[in-house]
Amino acid sequence: MTYHDRNISRRDMVKATGLGAAVATTAVAAPKAAKAVAAPGHQAQYAMVIDVRKCIGCQACTIACKTEYEVPLGKHRSWVEAVEKGTYPDVSRSFRPRLCNQCSEPACVPVCPADATWKRDEDGVVVINKDDCIACGRCVEACPYDARFLNPVGGKADKCDFCLHRVEQGLVPSCVNTCQGKARVFGDLNDPESEVSKLVADHPVTVLLQETGTKPNVYYIDADHADPADARFAGQYVRVDTNRPVEERR
Amino acid sequence: MLDRRSLLKIGAAAPAVAVSGGVLNQVRALPISGGKDFSPITGMERKAIPSACWQCVTRCPSISYVEDGRLVKIEGQPNSIRTHGVMCSKGQAGVNQYSDPDRILHPMRRVGPRGSGQWKRISWDEALEELTGRLQKLRDDGTPEKFMFHYGRMKASHSKLINTFLANYGTASKGNHTAICEAAKWTGQELTWGKHYDNWDFDNTRFVLNFGSNVLEAHTNHVPSAHRLIARITDHNVRLVTFDVRLSNTAAKSSEWVPVVPGTDRAVVLAMCNVIMSEDLYKGDGEEFLKYCKVTANNAATVEEKVAALKTHLAEYTPEWAEGVSGVPAGKIAEIAREVAMAKPACIISYRGAVASYHGADTERAVQMLAAITGNIDQPGGRCKAVGASWKYPKGPKDKPKARKLKIADGLPGAAKLPTHHVSHQVLKMIKDGSHGRPDVYMSYCYTAVYANGDVQENIDILKDESLIPFSVNVNPYYDESAALADLILPDTPFTERWGWEDMVSPAQIPEYYIRQPAVKPLGECRDFADVCIDMAERMGFPLGYKSHEEFVQASCEMTPAVKAAGGFEYMKANGVYHDPAAKPAFYSYKKVLSPEKYQKETVVKDPQTGTYWDWKKAKLESAEEALAKGYLKTKGSYKAYVGVEVDGQVLSGFKPDKVNLSGLFEIYSDVMKDADLPAMPSWTAIPEYEAKKPEDLILTTYKHAAQIHSRSANCKYLTEVFHDNPAWLNPETAKTKGIADGDAIKVISASGELLTTARVTPAIVPGAIAIAHHCGHWEYGRYASGKKAPLVEADEADADRIWWTSKGAHPNWIIGNRADPISGQLRFMDTVVKVEKA
Ligand code: SF4
Ligand code: SF4
Ligand code: SF4
Ligand code: SF4
Repeated sequence: MTYHDRNISRRDMVKATGLGAAVATTAVAAPKAAKAVAAPGHQAQYAMVIDVRKCIGCQACTIACKTEYEVPLGKHRSWVEAVEKGTYPDVSRSFRPRLCNQCSEPACVPVCPADATWKRDEDGVVVINKDDCIACGRCVEACPYDARFLNPVGGKADKCDFCLHRVEQGLVPSCVNTCQGKARVFGDLNDPESEVSKLVADHPVTVLLQETGTKPNVYYIDADHADPADARFAGQYVRVDTNRPVEERR
Repeated sequence: MLDRRSLLKIGAAAPAVAVSGGVLNQVRALPISGGKDFSPITGMERKAIPSACWQCVTRCPSISYVEDGRLVKIEGQPNSIRTHGVMCSKGQAGVNQYSDPDRILHPMRRVGPRGSGQWKRISWDEALEELTGRLQKLRDDGTPEKFMFHYGRMKASHSKLINTFLANYGTASKGNHTAICEAAKWTGQELTWGKHYDNWDFDNTRFVLNFGSNVLEAHTNHVPSAHRLIARITDHNVRLVTFDVRLSNTAAKSSEWVPVVPGTDRAVVLAMCNVIMSEDLYKGDGEEFLKYCKVTANNAATVEEKVAALKTHLAEYTPEWAEGVSGVPAGKIAEIAREVAMAKPACIISYRGAVASYHGADTERAVQMLAAITGNIDQPGGRCKAVGASWKYPKGPKDKPKARKLKIADGLPGAAKLPTHHVSHQVLKMIKDGSHGRPDVYMSYCYTAVYANGDVQENIDILKDESLIPFSVNVNPYYDESAALADLILPDTPFTERWGWEDMVSPAQIPEYYIRQPAVKPLGECRDFADVCIDMAERMGFPLGYKSHEEFVQASCEMTPAVKAAGGFEYMKANGVYHDPAAKPAFYSYKKVLSPEKYQKETVVKDPQTGTYWDWKKAKLESAEEALAKGYLKTKGSYKAYVGVEVDGQVLSGFKPDKVNLSGLFEIYSDVMKDADLPAMPSWTAIPEYEAKKPEDLILTTYKHAAQIHSRSANCKYLTEVFHDNPAWLNPETAKTKGIADGDAIKVISASGELLTTARVTPAIVPGAIAIAHHCGHWEYGRYASGKKAPLVEADEADADRIWWTSKGAHPNWIIGNRADPISGQLRFMDTVVKVEKA
């Protein structure tokens, strides 16, 4: 059983006893620092705002996420895309850090035949119970963002969970911790005082593939959403590089 | 280890912890940014050990996290004033250096022919007995110089300790690696403002003008500089203009990318200076700063005379002329020149892209001139004299033998006139040449001589040849391309298992003291080479006076007043970093007025020609008379005796010289250059290879990617997963003339050889150039780098079977010659003329 599974079973237990979801988890290790978990009665929606103006494409987030979870080669909870486009000398390159969007209407959840994945009431993070996961791969297929994968270690579905094991201890996610540009900002969208709420309120933000209706909770400031398909129509050079084995963007 | 106290401190540095009566307050606490980590599997807190990165030379303070005795995670040190707790991808991947299954864990002795890959494991005793036996014999024979030490990424406490060993042994036959890095920059600085290292004060700047620095991807002080720069341009709307051959990520984040023909940045800089002088834009801060400058042969010239000299010298370097050389439109040059002159302050930065080419040291001098005449030297927001920690440390035995040396560090005769950082890429050539002697024992440390230098085939041939190098020792945690050609491999620890203190430049202009601690005990039989030096010294009968590198670090902590006052070694072990919270950023160091006791001494004279005060005794002269008769400039090594310089009747600290005899003024006009028959003022000197270049020829340049260090990180699986292939960049217009399409196989041919690679056709590069990244094309360095296991290695890792990339790229150094900038000796990585054709 993993750390999450334990929390998850606790959630099930809480549900069963009708106490509702608003119970601060008693963490496995004694908390020493500030906790970012929900105050009683508060339903959080954790979110990330990625200010692309500040992203220098350094890939520290990619590697921080890889080492935090020892993510096997070929699989990614997080990655960075680079969009290069233009005509010499008017050329731009813009970065698009990627991770699970912790969608409010997650396409990955309803397809699970084992009820092994759901969106948490208390903080809006979409989680997977590895014990229940039957590794059918339907959620991996269903996610329009390619955010999920079957982890070769253990064989179960996996993805970014906003580093819940850190967040519940009062720490920012690993990718946020290392971000050179402070481009990745993490917080609670249901708290109007949080930095993410303010950023979303003060800036025109975009989400990926809005048309799919998944309602992502990862917002981008100033992202370049161009993809090579655009080039065909505009007769323009557009190249999207990614550090994943999967070439085409989803 | 972080104790409770320091944890609380870290916690306190974060926004208020809002807990009352054990119940979380309604006001929700913001998460803290770092200093702790937890296992995602068990939820248990990981052990946190303050340390320091040693992937690249920046050496960021870090925290190692250990779980079940295994190093599992590295993060930035949140209390560092250099990094503010952030890290780059290379730093994050430090765990891969530790966990690489191809680590060498035991000493190995060659059994087959050299380079055949046949080895046997031996004990440390056997290894050191053989090695010290050979060294002892050389020493006894009175030829200690036949022990040559060739090092790469060595710095700070390792450098001090290992050099103490070499000095006490008696050899000064040392090769470094700076000429493959940024020697031209340092020489250029030593010729203008003395001791090298410029720090860029982005925190206070209003405009950044960049010549060839890819600071957002790689840099001598990468994370400390990069995270400040991006904050400055996004939070404060500071404009960044980048001149580069290629749209680097730095160029991409710039307000403007101005493409330039490789190796011609100096023409642009000179033309900007021309605009500033001819339009009188130097007035104000620039004019004020000219007071401290030497601009003519006469050190006592008036500012008016200096202005006139600059105008005369720069008259020919018009923007129109520069357009012809660099391809940058004249109007653009003038526009940016005006902008840099008006922005107060402006930070003018430069790096390898601009200086690793013919007369690169003069490019750095030109950039210094531009910063000087716009008044942007060593002031808030400008190009500053770097500050770092000044550690005190145990100096080792008092009586050292007089060291002897083979004169093979400065390149072939005539290679470079002022190689103040040596010509390391020609060391092997010099060994082959033999005219200045050859080492009997060649040892290399933290250095992939074969791979990192140009002319790879020649390097291999020389290192393989037992008649040229009878005994070759490689100190290395990994089996790299150089280790493969050694006779004896001593297994070093990766930096994750080393001690050390560090002193790297602080962009805050306030020194930061920090230490490295091992996260875990060395794996296998690995030993920090510093400890091996202590052991060898003992075996040869000249003990250094400390028993371990840890003890050396401990002693340094107790000897260094600032660190001692903070709590010494125990404090540093618990906290990792220390800076004086009351310290103010250091600027304008040259303006400091000296107290009369400093220069009204019996042993100090004023040089009438330069206005320099210098101590004749320190210069090893007999008397004031002798000093006056010989003169400051003509006395060898007189810079070591520098005291101060007179400006406007006041004696100031001035610009303290290093390595060459500088007056103490900021030298735009250089007597040293003139005496070496080089341009006294920063000038354009035509590039001989370009003159002979055919219209269809291209210019090959190289670059670094954000996710790899130059040559020692391809074994880090997560980094190589991000960057493992390096197709050559070609502008569509250039590619079209050669019938090359994106993804085509191509052949790149230089005077040194041919390279097969593929084309990446992109508008992100200037026409007429071809850019190939470093880092790729390894043929050793373990399975993640090359697909080849290291010999005698049994360890396995499941990820090795998951390597999904099929190309490992092509290494450009096979076709880049070990050609030196004739001034500094810098390897010319940016201006190789090549033919390119479809393969
Ligand atoms: S991004 Fe994909 S995996 Fe993540 S919640 Fe949305 S649909 Fe599910
Ligand atoms: S929040 Fe955690 S799991 Fe998600 S991308 Fe960042 S580091 Fe990876
Ligand atoms: S760490 Fe931050 S700056 Fe670097 S690539 Fe990731 S999001 Fe961008
Ligand atoms: S810049 Fe990156 S690789 Fe270099 S020392 Fe810092 S964290 Fe390590």
